[in-house]
Formats: sequence, C-alpha cells, structure tokens
Amino acid sequence: MENSYKERLRGLGKYGLFIAFFAICLTLTFLAPTFLTVQNLMIIVTQVSINALLAFGVTFVIITGGIDLSVGSIVAVTGIAAATFAHPDTYPVIVPIGMGLLAGLAFGAFNGFIITRSKVPPFIVTLGTMTVGRGLALILSKGRPISNLSDSFNFIGGGKILGVPTLILILIVTFIICSVILRKTVLGRYMYAVGGNEQAARASGIQLSTVKMVVYALSGGLAALAGILLTSRITTGQPNAGAGFELDAIAAAIIGGTSTSGGTGTMTGTLLGALLIGVISNGLDLLNVTSYYQQVVMGVIIIGAVVLDSLNQSTR
Amino acid sequence: MKQLPVSSLGFTLLISALLIGCNQSASNEKSGGSDGKKIVVGATMLSMQNEFIVNVHDEMAKKAEADGVELITVDAERSALKQVEQVESFIAQHVDAIIMNPCEVEASSPAVTKALAAKIPIINVNSETSTKPSAFVGSDDVESARIAMKFIAEKLNGKGNILMMHGYMGQAAQIKREQGAQEILKQYPNLKLLAHQTAEWDRAKGMSLMENWIQSFGSQINAVFAQNDEMGLGAVKALTDAGLKDKVLVVSIDAIPDALQAVKKGSLDATVFQNAEQQGAKAIEAAVKLAKGQPVEKETLIPFQLVTKQNLGEFLKQ
Repeated sequence: MENSYKERLRGLGKYGLFIAFFAICLTLTFLAPTFLTVQNLMIIVTQVSINALLAFGVTFVIITGGIDLSVGSIVAVTGIAAATFAHPDTYPVIVPIGMGLLAGLAFGAFNGFIITRSKVPPFIVTLGTMTVGRGLALILSKGRPISNLSDSFNFIGGGKILGVPTLILILIVTFIICSVILRKTVLGRYMYAVGGNEQAARASGIQLSTVKMVVYALSGGLAALAGILLTSRITTGQPNAGAGFELDAIAAAIIGGTSTSGGTGTMTGTLLGALLIGVISNGLDLLNVTSYYQQVVMGVIIIGAVVLDSLNQSTR
Repeated sequence: MKQLPVSSLGFTLLISALLIGCNQSASNEKSGGSDGKKIVVGATMLSMQNEFIVNVHDEMAKKAEADGVELITVDAERSALKQVEQVESFIAQHVDAIIMNPCEVEASSPAVTKALAAKIPIINVNSETSTKPSAFVGSDDVESARIAMKFIAEKLNGKGNILMMHGYMGQAAQIKREQGAQEILKQYPNLKLLAHQTAEWDRAKGMSLMENWIQSFGSQINAVFAQNDEMGLGAVKALTDAGLKDKVLVVSIDAIPDALQAVKKGSLDATVFQNAEQQGAKAIEAAVKLAKGQPVEKETLIPFQLVTKQNLGEFLKQ
C-alpha cells in the first residue's frame, strides 16, 4: 500500500506541472468566457515573455547549482542603457540593442568572475550586484524615466509581425536556442555535470570556472534582452523597472521542475512554469479577484511544486 | 515592549549628548573666524527613486542655494525606521531646521516628536504624519482624485462604466486617492465602477492589467482612472494597441513630463498637476523662517490643477 501510494505521487510529480496547468486552464475556461480566445492567449504569452526570458537564464544558473538574484536589476540597467541611445534621429536601432546586450553580458560576466575567483556563495555575490545594479540604473538615469524613444526601437518589443506580437516571436526563438544549448551541446552537458556533482565534474576534467562564467554571462545576456524588450514595450526606460522580477523568474524555474540543489531542469519546464504564473495572474484579473489572493495562490503553487519535486527526488 | 523605548531613548540621548559635545567644540572652532552664521537645514526624503520626490528636492536645493542656506539631504529609501534615525542624527548635528518628507503616517511620527522635544523646528513636506509638525507644506491627495473623477463624470455626462487602477495598496496616497474617487462616484449614481485592481504605480503592470481588462470588458469600458500617470500611460498604451483609445477616456494624477507629452498628443485625456516646485520652495521658506524664530502658517496647502489639452501650455513651460 505504502509503496503504491508513493509510486502514484511520484507519477504525479513527473506530470504534475502539466496536470496542474491544464486543470487551471480548464477551470478558467469555464469561469471566464473570455479566457480561451486566441486574442487572450496571445496577451498571456506576451505578458509572460519578459519573465520567461529571465527564467531561461536563471534556469541555466540553477542547473549548475548556483542562483542569480541580480537579473531584475540587470533589466533596469540594460533598459536605461538602451533607452539612452534610442532617442529618435540619433543612432540606428542596432546601437541601443547592442549597448543593452553588452551591458547585460558584462554584468553577468562580472557576477561569474567574482563567484569563480572568490569562495563567496552566488547568493551573496548576486545579492550584492543586485543592489549595485539598481544603484547604477538610478545614477545613469538620474532617478528619472527616459522617454521619447524612436519608433523603430519601440517596435522591437511592442510591434506585431503578421498579427503576432514581436515579443512572442522572440520568446519562441530564444526558447529554441536555450533548449538546444542545454540539450544538444557539450556546454549543456557540462552544466548538468557541474550541478549534479561538482567534485566528479572537476575530476573528469571539466573547467568549472569557465562553465560558471558562461552560465552567469548567459543569464546576464538574457536579462538584458528582457530589459530591452520591456523598455521597448512600455516605450520608456525606467530605473525602477524589474524590481522583484528575479523572484518571479526563480519561481518559474522552480515550478517548472528545476531543482534548487542543481543538476536537473529543462527549458520546457521553465516555460511552462512561467506560463502557469501568467495564466493565473491573467485569469484572476479576468475574474476580478483582488491581487491579495493572487499572491497567496502563487505562493501555494510554488511550495506545492517544490514539495512534489522533493518527493520525486527521494523516491528516485 | 513597554521597556524598550525608554532604554533606547536613554541610549539615543547618551549618544546624542556625546555627539552634541563633539559637534559644539567643532562648530566653535569653525565659527571662530566669521560671525555670519549659515542656516543649516536637514532634509530626509521618502525616496529619491521617485521622480516627483526628486523634483520636490531639486526645487528645495535650488531655493536653498538662492537663500544661502546649507541643505543636507538624506534618502530614507521608503523606510520609516531609517527616517526616524536620520532625524535623530540631524538633531545630534544640531541643524537649525528639519524638513521631512514622511514615509508613513504613523511610523514616521516619532521623528516629529523627537525634533520638537529637541526644540528644532520640523516641517513636513508633501505628506503628513499623525503627530503635528511645526509646519506642513503640501497638497491634499483626496482633492487630486476628486478633480480627476469629476472630470470623468462631466465628460461622460454622469453615466458610464469606469475602471480604477490603484497604487500600492495601503499607502497613504493610494488610500486618499481612492477616497476622493469614491466620494465623486457616490454623487453620480449612474457611474458604475466595473472593476478596480492594483498595478502598483508601475507602467508595465498598468499595461498588463489594462490588456486583461480589455479582454473581460471590451467595449463596455467608458473611462479609466489611474491613481498615477505611470499606470495611466500603461493603460493608454494597451488601449491604443487594441484600437480602443478613441472610445475610452483615461485620466491620471501627477502630471509627470511623459504624461504632459501624452496630453499634448491627445492620448491621455487629462492629468492632475501637483506642484513639486512650489512644495519644495515653500518648504525651504518655512524652514528658514522657523530657524530665525519668525512665525509661519501651520499649514500651506498648494492646490492641484487639472491639466487638459486646453491649458497644457502653462504646464509645459515649467
């Protein structure tokens, strides 16, 4: 009896996320007539895309057994960096994009550098750079939003191509690239190896510090992409943008089955995690439920996901 | 718990006494040369990450420089606890007057009590504390929402469906702006509040919330009242993208530069101007007078003004 019960729970853990996702979608379809429409689904994916991009980067980091708390601040810094160069009739649109990405990659690489060169845990290093980043964003913008951005810049995160919002297209492309990196490349295999068993990974000749540097730079780069797109979507660079985003991103990764102890996790899971958060938030808005309850629901789901994950691990 | 304040007060007094001792010897040396004593004003601001507060402060700095006043500014970073500590350190530094832009109604009150006990005049700027300071300079947030909602009511001829976006729930500005809006809604029974929800003063959140609302209410929406411009501009963006902006009225509060540009373009229908310049300048004025022992008005209320396309010109210049 005991065994079959555990067996069943284990099965639920494996498919729990899919089951939960479809159960919630089904419930919302019945409760809110406007939920299951092409337009609303597109809106959900658009709203989710920024968080999903951050969550992809964080997933890489968590798989190697690390954590990145600085992504929300990187969104602000890179958004400001991009907005500064995005005024109409100044630079071609590639310049703000390039500056933003460069700032994000540099920020991420700096995280990686400090983490690999010192023995300070990633939690503390990125907690520090989170504050540094927020400060930098305020310094660069003098505490004020930067607006009056060019139409071509505003198009990248706010436009539509053949009726599909650009954010959705960018999300799909980035998702495919991240999945390929994780599953089909040597780098991806090294990430799992480092997170699964650092000693063994080192013994087998993997350059731990290189893998970690790349992982944090990737996270910074993806946060920069998110920052640029957010700035473009709301047509203004805001120094306080992205506050708290790191927690949503980590939540998406964890709900998606990425283990905080490292070594496991998939991009599909993370995407589904982000979508789940988005669906709940959209659905509760449609049902006109106050945001207080939204926070409670979200917290319960995060804990539920981690509990299922731990059950899964103990029976493995 | 009852014991704690007494002992911590004792400790603070001891430390302040020590600091005052040091400070006095230092200032004696300083003032040895010249007799023309410069007035020193300490200011603690709610958050220097907030554009409006930064504007108020810029004007304070400008006015202080013009009047030959030394202004020391610290950022309370939205923490009332930090703010009280900052005022304590101003008291220890023996500044001539303190300007406080309170973080919270209740939790920032001890700062007022402490300054008054140390016989240093304290001026609250922009928002209030429950303990009355030497002087208050600011505007009444309830009034701003009344003005905004009244504009909507008149534009809709007293009939229609309205959505309201709240700021951070529980903050003084959110509570007062909701109160003002509800007062006007009561006067117009045919105005219906379809839904209200927080977008946390944030443009991106306002935009997402509006997108979701458009899905639920669509063409039923007649007007949106956002408790600040950031959220209002997010709503404008979502409505424009959905091709609904021509049919929906959007009104918000603060008159930040972006909002004025949007009013100019006609995408935002109206905003309500809170006069940061006057708040900053009047606060310094009151501080200087009080430092010199001159009488001042207990309460200086700077009126809000509705900004629409018609009177936009006078605000764009500022």
